[in-house]
Amino acid sequence: MARLTFVEGLIEGMRHELRRDPDVFLMGQDIGKMGGAMGGSRGLIEEFGPHRIRETPISESAMVGAAVGAAMVGKRPIVEISFGEFLPTCMSQVVLQAANLHYMTAGVLTIPMVLRTRIGDGPYRGHPQCYESWFAHVPGLRVLMPSTAADARDAMVAAIRDPNPVILFEHMWLYHGARDEVPDTVGDYDLERGAVRRSGTDVTVAATGWTVHKALDAAEQLAAEGVSVEVIDLRTLAPLDIGTVAASVRKTSRIVVAHEAWKVGGIGAEVTAAIAEACFFDLAAPPARVGAPHHPLPMAKPLRDAFIPSVASVAEAIRRVRREG
Amino acid sequence: MTAPATPSNPNAKASSSITLLPAKDRVALVRAMILSRVLEQACCELNPRWFPAEGEEAVIAGAFYGLRADDIAAPHYRGPFLAYAMRGASLSRLVAQALAKADGYARGRALGFTGPADLGFVPWVAGDLGTTIGVATGCALGFHYERSDRVVVCSFGDGTTNRGDFHEALNLASVWKLPIVYVCQNNQYSISLHASEVLPVDSVASRAAAYGMPGFAVDGNNVVDVHRAVRDGITRARAGGGPTLVEARTYRLGGHWASDPGGYRVRDIEEEWRTRDPVPRAVADLLAEGIIDEVGAAKLWDEARDAVSAAVNEARRGADPTDEDLGSGDALSPSDRDDRSRATRIGPIAGGAPWRG
Repeated sequence: MARLTFVEGLIEGMRHELRRDPDVFLMGQDIGKMGGAMGGSRGLIEEFGPHRIRETPISESAMVGAAVGAAMVGKRPIVEISFGEFLPTCMSQVVLQAANLHYMTAGVLTIPMVLRTRIGDGPYRGHPQCYESWFAHVPGLRVLMPSTAADARDAMVAAIRDPNPVILFEHMWLYHGARDEVPDTVGDYDLERGAVRRSGTDVTVAATGWTVHKALDAAEQLAAEGVSVEVIDLRTLAPLDIGTVAASVRKTSRIVVAHEAWKVGGIGAEVTAAIAEACFFDLAAPPARVGAPHHPLPMAKPLRDAFIPSVASVAEAIRRVRREG
Repeated sequence: MTAPATPSNPNAKASSSITLLPAKDRVALVRAMILSRVLEQACCELNPRWFPAEGEEAVIAGAFYGLRADDIAAPHYRGPFLAYAMRGASLSRLVAQALAKADGYARGRALGFTGPADLGFVPWVAGDLGTTIGVATGCALGFHYERSDRVVVCSFGDGTTNRGDFHEALNLASVWKLPIVYVCQNNQYSISLHASEVLPVDSVASRAAAYGMPGFAVDGNNVVDVHRAVRDGITRARAGGGPTLVEARTYRLGGHWASDPGGYRVRDIEEEWRTRDPVPRAVADLLAEGIIDEVGAAKLWDEARDAVSAAVNEARRGADPTDEDLGSGDALSPSDRDDRSRATRIGPIAGGAPWRG
């Protein structure tokens, strides 16, 4: 059992597969001598060299296209888009090529590639945009957002081994945060299952990334108020594991969905709609969504703090669904 | 537009400008062009939204002729059926695709001009222009990564060279010395816009200089010139010399789509280009050089007409796609699938290549 940070978990996952499978390689900007943005690939160039840890020009669309094509001919590329803010620059390769190729070739091709990228508020406050729901909307992609170091490693390994294009969103606030216990052996990671992080009976909170940790803190606060909160880490945004959320809602009758992305059109909209379809009559109160307000992301710290969902805003939503039911 | 085989990069030179092509290859190229002319005409009659390749056959035949079975081809959307047929695709299944029948290679799921991926093609799974260049470049990265001598030939129109994807891909391929030949099928039109309105350079080939790769402009209505230039690029790529850009200058004799009234075109220029039609020109060259006689030439046309006619009849009889072809659970592959147990993911052609020559 090792104690790893989130980013160490990610790197450990890549290292594990780079050692195991010669078809795996990583390409991205500044991933060599610099060790990757925020140290996201530290140590890999030293062990695997420049043929497998490939520095790229600032050409996100060509980078993702290169990953799609290399995957098409049997390689297992990991392409790193330094920050989620840059995803719009390679959107057509992700949405039009990677996502379509398996279905539209009637199953002849598979595209076993991983696109890893950093999102969310972080210690340097740059590039925080959370665009993950765009990709969950498009069929043909797996979309993952781990929230623990163990999941970071195991999700990375499972993503690399999966024959589909997988987008792995890495939350920057978690990168160099608290260390987690990570088992020595890589676990069987289910790419289509959420995880219940805390059991409870009164309210279900389904959250993603850093917001999972905020929801756990909010649950702790609410416990002091006598409210038992169940916290689900969605983890896999596509395909979305509605079954785990619905099972929880059938027990608690109340749901809050919380994420750092904009509330409008965020993954929380899909979760609440799917829960309304699956177990409307189990609900004792209208669902509540917690997300960012509908304006672009501000830079200054006080504005950023007001913008991003907090422990307090999750706790308030929990209290609201309690009151309204 | 004159189209001499002039290298745009002074450091690059055509290595085989004096190499003659054997007679059997000359005949095969002409046979392929004739097939394309007849097959495309049939597709235009069957589907008024088909993108006609009339006039551009020399580029397609010349660019994709003689690829090795384990190479990858990424043909432009205008006229790709010839490239598919040259590597063994079934003509009736191709026509079925143009008719959106279930027998098409994509079972009705992808665009009519998509290619059979299991015959070593980058398929058309999206209607944008430019992303296939990135994917083809990625195939070349895969070959470079495994240190094989497989290569990729990727073609696109002059209009596509204004996409950022073109520029990013060529830069990346040059930085990494990837084994790929880029072929610009310059038919002078981006749908209704003439190249002079949107291409601020005299030659697409000159864009290669910006990426430190050799660029050549050739007469795209001369199949031998196109083939030689691409073949030289392939030789360079196989030897680890990196990418090449070949601009084949031709002219779109038809509309953007089959029923396009083409009111934007200049009729006397069109008529002038019609006199340079690459198909009769290539046939005339073979006759003049005594490689075939009139009987042999007529036989090439008859063979193509018979084959296409049979393919059309068979394709028409085919079924429309059903719910089974829709495959609503097929967006993702099962997680336990690992295609590496096959020798290559997309690669060696399954059957023969009847139109190879």
